[in-house]
Amino acid sequence: MSAAVSVRRRKVPVGHYVRVTSGVVACLLFLFPVFWMVLTSFKMPRDIFTTPPTLFFTPTLETYISYMSRADIPYRMLNTVIVAFGSAFISIIAGSMAGYALARIRLRGAGMLGALILLSRGVPPIALAVPMFLVARSLGLTDKHITLILAYCTFLIPYVMWLMRGFFMALPKELEESAMIDGCTRFGAFFRIIVPISLPGILSTMIFSVILAWEELLFALVLTNRNASTIPVSIAGIAGDSVNGANWGALTAVGTLTVVPVVIFALLVQKWLIQGLADGATKG
Amino acid sequence: MKQTSTGKFSVSRRAVFAAGLSAVAAISILATGASYAQDALGTAEQPVEIRMIANEAFANQWQTNMVPEFNKVYPNIKVTIDGVPYAELLAKSLLDATGPAPTYDIIIADDPWIPQLASAGVLVDLKKDAAAWTSADYDWADFNAAPLAAGEWNGVQYGVPLRSNLLLMFTNKALYEKAGLPAPTPELTWEQFFQQAEKLVQDTNGDGKVDAWAVDTYFMRDALTPTIWQTILNSNGGALLDAGNKPTFNNEAGVKALQTHIDLLKYAPTGAVSHGFNESLQAFRQGQVASMFMWGSVFKGTAVDPSTTTLKPEQVGIQVMPVGSKSAGAHRGIWSGAINNKSENQQAAWALLQWLSSKEGEVWQSNALGVFPARKSTLATTPEHEWLKPVFAALQQGYDAAGEGQMWRPRHPKSDAVQQVLADETARAVAGQATPQEALQAAAEKIEKLLD
Amino acid sequence: MATVGRSRSRGAAKLADLTSRWAFMAPATIILLAMLAYPILYTIEISFSELDLATFTATEWVGWDNYIEVLNDARFWESLRITGIYLVLALPLQMILGFGIAFLINANWQGRGLVRALFIIPMVVAPVVAGGVWRMILDPLWGLANYVIGLAGFEPLDWLGNPSLAMLTVVIIDTWRWTPFVTLIATAALMSLPKDVFEAAEIDGANWWTMFWSITLPLLLPIIAATFVVRWLGAVKMFDIALAATNGGPGAATKVINLFIYEEAFRSLKFAESAAMAVIILVLTMVLTALFLRGSRKLEEMY
Repeated sequence: MSAAVSVRRRKVPVGHYVRVTSGVVACLLFLFPVFWMVLTSFKMPRDIFTTPPTLFFTPTLETYISYMSRADIPYRMLNTVIVAFGSAFISIIAGSMAGYALARIRLRGAGMLGALILLSRGVPPIALAVPMFLVARSLGLTDKHITLILAYCTFLIPYVMWLMRGFFMALPKELEESAMIDGCTRFGAFFRIIVPISLPGILSTMIFSVILAWEELLFALVLTNRNASTIPVSIAGIAGDSVNGANWGALTAVGTLTVVPVVIFALLVQKWLIQGLADGATKG
Repeated sequence: MKQTSTGKFSVSRRAVFAAGLSAVAAISILATGASYAQDALGTAEQPVEIRMIANEAFANQWQTNMVPEFNKVYPNIKVTIDGVPYAELLAKSLLDATGPAPTYDIIIADDPWIPQLASAGVLVDLKKDAAAWTSADYDWADFNAAPLAAGEWNGVQYGVPLRSNLLLMFTNKALYEKAGLPAPTPELTWEQFFQQAEKLVQDTNGDGKVDAWAVDTYFMRDALTPTIWQTILNSNGGALLDAGNKPTFNNEAGVKALQTHIDLLKYAPTGAVSHGFNESLQAFRQGQVASMFMWGSVFKGTAVDPSTTTLKPEQVGIQVMPVGSKSAGAHRGIWSGAINNKSENQQAAWALLQWLSSKEGEVWQSNALGVFPARKSTLATTPEHEWLKPVFAALQQGYDAAGEGQMWRPRHPKSDAVQQVLADETARAVAGQATPQEALQAAAEKIEKLLD
Repeated sequence: MATVGRSRSRGAAKLADLTSRWAFMAPATIILLAMLAYPILYTIEISFSELDLATFTATEWVGWDNYIEVLNDARFWESLRITGIYLVLALPLQMILGFGIAFLINANWQGRGLVRALFIIPMVVAPVVAGGVWRMILDPLWGLANYVIGLAGFEPLDWLGNPSLAMLTVVIIDTWRWTPFVTLIATAALMSLPKDVFEAAEIDGANWWTMFWSITLPLLLPIIAATFVVRWLGAVKMFDIALAATNGGPGAATKVINLFIYEEAFRSLKFAESAAMAVIILVLTMVLTALFLRGSRKLEEMY
């Protein structure tokens, strides 16, 4: 994928191989529980908790089929996509702009405001869920995508703002000065100069935001019933099956299924990013 | 917590509302000349839509199997069931039910929740407000007393039992046989249980390592873990609270019961201290433990369904929990159906609850879905499934024991808060962070303050 | 006339400039204000009141009663202590591992895009599933971890049943889950480093250590600080992993403060006390975060 980046510029030191190998080993260690999850999802429920644990078994797709054929799953999946990407998109725009203001614009009181926005994350989400529901109910907005999207924005925006502030602060100061001398407005300078050069940071923050919204449970539980309900609610339901016992085949299958779209998204972003790097849009 | 009761207000409001509704019903009976108000139950042109909030664990099963069956009788009532994970179901039900225009007509409440919902003033009095819509052959007296009482609070019947459940004793007969012990009977006492337990910790394949244990059940920090020692306490004639809601477990009997629960750990698998519902279930299904104190509802997945269990139906026994100094043990866990008094479709909602809890509905549900009934008449029938026969027998015995010894969680608007305190303190004692005396002392103090 | 016009247009330009500056802060501020103002005020209000569960509104002002009750509850202090232990163990571990692994997987080779994308998976797995899979691996009876330990000839460990080990288990699971976040941000920061500075330093004959200490670290400092603050704010609120892996047990060994708040509100329906705890935690978090921000500003100024 990164073939365009020249590796043969100079002699590759031994340290490079050590670095790559240990990186891969670290990655494999972290992925082991994920591997175990995927493996479990192909087991029959009775084969999951054997002593000793089994690596070899007759794989079955039954859990996938029975879960996917449930009527609520397709729309829950769609809801999850809508809500995660919707809230990540809004948060990235609003949060990056605020982060830029904090990092690069001289503005009396903005620092204080920024700190307040960040500190709003100090409120335990459990305390916010119920009053948010009461507001949504009085506005007739329960069980709507937009409610969940805006609720997620409340925890994504402060994070995005603060992370992007960090990225913007590392940029050389001359960038927008020269742009503004060239007649760009402040917005022009931000969107045409700063955003492209900060793409690695913006996209990583975007991935992070999508993930946070993707797996959020508490607000989804309280604010939605059916129309806007997401996959994590369904997962919590299977895990909390108080009648038959948690079906770990189904849980690991859904766990696997929900990981796939996000990984594909991250892969696409990486590919795009590395291409961008090779094209010289950003510096590597 | 401070809660103000709106009981008085809501009663009068409910009465006015009910009077209005029955007037409407009476008028429509006159108008149509039929025995039922057909409009309230929907017509082909204008079906009635009702919504139900239920445990995610069975919402899907009901929506796909139960609703079509119900629609054979009432084709013009459309039913939508939304599942919510068990842990958040009560809070979510309360949040919705207390709004000015609630989404859900029917609330499916777990055993201790009826007092909490009723004290918020949101439930219909079924025997009074719904009396006009109750069919003449709906037999209230046929219900076993214990499950019906789960839907009652302060003398008012707010719910009917729709899915009944009991904490029972599961046995792995093969492991008993291997240990040279007779399969347990419902007469088994706690003394006998502990005498046998030592032999049931055994090496079944002869490799010199212990690979089967006597028992597994709830030990972890969980709201349901205290139900185990409560059942032991109850079967010894003790109770958690007296009639005035003062703790009565902080004494020798309470300590003994909790110590019995903790002693089970000696004969439980390694790591059982962190086992709860799911883990003990898996240990039993893998044939690693000879007995398990567990909810009866897991029986099918434990003894019958080959995709979830390694055991065969003939290997698995089910019976009441061991006999204490007073009686055998069981612990009630009933899902009751209740109706929101702000619902606009109360009659249709009651039609569904009534059908599902009727004699015919129960028989259908237990045969088609394997759900446990609450009626004496249903338990006296011969179930279509062979595996249900021993379950029915255990249930009938369990209901009698539970009804006799009041073996259920506290009946109080703060029931779950009490249960959480018990869970916290029991967990400390089970994990060895406190002695049973200390734990019960702390629990009694907190509960006394809580219910003051 | 002319001067007045000029000063007016200068005033207008100044206003336009100020507006364009504030316009950057506006969207975030408006969304957060609209969404959070009422919920936060509501939380504060009910923390000083009785809550009527029939309407979910405050009925009677009770002053500091709820706070006094919370502060007199030993379980609250125990939860605070447990949260503190968890934070002190987990945060540094995740920061060091995260930046270290970012450095490793940022090596220039073919597969790095794939490795980076795969490395985020632990974050994506739903907490309930992640906690359960870890439980499966760690269970003394059927778990793989003890099986492997047993093959190596060691005594099995009770990962979830031993109170101190259970805390460590929660830290391990949480670190597994959130190190990828630190790595994700750190890789982006490393990618954004201006290459020319390093090339110039290399030509000047600077060695690896000097380059790291005097160029890489100062350039990374703002983002390290930001990552820390974001992770800290996330970690303070952690309860999903503790809920899924140990449910706060054994005993109360892993009952972090947010798990306690959650249980008080959603299980025990004690919303007023839960709100009082939330306000206390808010204040504590604000104070500590302010300290971190001041510290990071000092560091930023130093370089």
